[in-house]
Amino acid sequence: MDVTREIEFGARSDIGCVRESNEDSYGAAPEIGVFVLSDGMGGLECGEVAGRLAVETVIRECRGARSVRADEGPANGISGVSTESNQLVAAIRAANQRIYQTAQNSEAGRQMGATIVAVRFTGERMSLAHVGDSRAYRLRGSRLEQLTRDHSFVAEQMRQGRMTELEAGQSGLQNVLLRALGVAEQVDVDVTEELMLDDDTILLCSDGLTRELTDAQIAAVLNDCEEAQDAADQLIQAAKQAGGGDNITAVVLRSAARPAGAFTRIGRWLRHS
Amino acid sequence: MPKLVLKFENAVLQEVPVNAKEVSIGRSPDNALVIDNPAVSHYHARVFNEEGRMMLEDFGSLNGTFVNGQRIKMVTLKAGDSVAIGKHTIVISEARDLDGFAAGNGDAKQAAPKLNETVILDTKERRAFMQQVAAGGESSQPAPARLKVPSLVVRKGKTDQKEYSLTDKLTVVGKSAMATVKLTGWFAPRAAAQINRREDQSYYIGAADKRPSVNGQPIDSPTKLSPGDVIQVVGVQLEFVYRD
Repeated sequence: MDVTREIEFGARSDIGCVRESNEDSYGAAPEIGVFVLSDGMGGLECGEVAGRLAVETVIRECRGARSVRADEGPANGISGVSTESNQLVAAIRAANQRIYQTAQNSEAGRQMGATIVAVRFTGERMSLAHVGDSRAYRLRGSRLEQLTRDHSFVAEQMRQGRMTELEAGQSGLQNVLLRALGVAEQVDVDVTEELMLDDDTILLCSDGLTRELTDAQIAAVLNDCEEAQDAADQLIQAAKQAGGGDNITAVVLRSAARPAGAFTRIGRWLRHS
Repeated sequence: MPKLVLKFENAVLQEVPVNAKEVSIGRSPDNALVIDNPAVSHYHARVFNEEGRMMLEDFGSLNGTFVNGQRIKMVTLKAGDSVAIGKHTIVISEARDLDGFAAGNGDAKQAAPKLNETVILDTKERRAFMQQVAAGGESSQPAPARLKVPSLVVRKGKTDQKEYSLTDKLTVVGKSAMATVKLTGWFAPRAAAQINRREDQSYYIGAADKRPSVNGQPIDSPTKLSPGDVIQVVGVQLEFVYRD
């Protein structure tokens, strides 16, 4: 079976219009089908360091991953997902340790944290793991679907039916995360698996993008752009025009086998409408 | 001098210094710290000084008083403790440590938090937060039945088995190599539909190359499955059930 799959990717990260530094990071290891995005936090240079550490560690661990199977390896293997997904989770746990240790060893025991969203493509399977409020979306047909559920206070309130989407969007508590890398020795990583169809577009992004743009705006850009890099550039541009209150990062991923051109797009639209 | 800082969400509503005098807390306007919310009793609790220790006592209130997530009757408070009453929080702060609540602001000089700075609740604060949420209303959903195995029973159509257990987080219906529910019809698509198990152990059916129907209704977005639901896609009918 084909192990990795050729993925066309486009990515851009921007400081935005308000912040003085860019604490977002992203990284790609196309040869193993791994793509990662992280939003660091901690002030001074700590946020930048945390985000970079997260991305570097996940990619390095995935490159060197030994086979950790759910049914053999240590007790922390997650059942119901593939070996590759478990390796991705192990890589994120390693990143957590690394950031946590770095914070502990720094003078004054600085607080450092980072979100992470990471995908790994194996054949038609996409492993998706995340911690925090950086998100993954999928455009399938003309429909945009958020694949991750934020580990934030407002998202938790919405899940429990205690806040509407509107209230959450206006809440002063949008910045409160319930999970992040680097805060404790152990971290709970959400992992899931998705089917990657040839027509699908995957977007990884930091909250700087989703605070500025609606789902409809994001879907329109992803739909309109033939090239993944073009889509990433335009998303950043649109988020900056909308205010750019935070750092903005977008990673756009498509199957390289994706059929393009007007006819296939019309066909795609017909099938899904 | 320590202070009681009353917060709702992140808005500071009131600050009351704790000195020799007792601070009464409740819904009645004659309390020193008034919380105007039906979930709070008229005379709910008090903070008082006992031999230099700051004590908190709950007056047997209906909805309770929680310190760092634990329901309490009487407890010694220290700076940084978070007291949850209804949906409100009272943070015990040293007078100069006003942002002690936010764990993410690591600047050594303790500057006021920048607008929009992300904060992370550590496990202790998170528990308190969740407890506070739980105290505000009805109980959360019942735990799923663990011993039952979610399954798909084939009612109609060509598949390689008559029944499938949904043991994986992702179940693909189609001809694909990674499909669990393998379609064997000649014109079956590689991936007709997909079923995802979410973190709360619920199952959602979504479109792949085709758009499935649930109980005769074409789905618009991922749709939660309930026992007895019948999925139809490319001439195959699958019933979602829990097996013993």
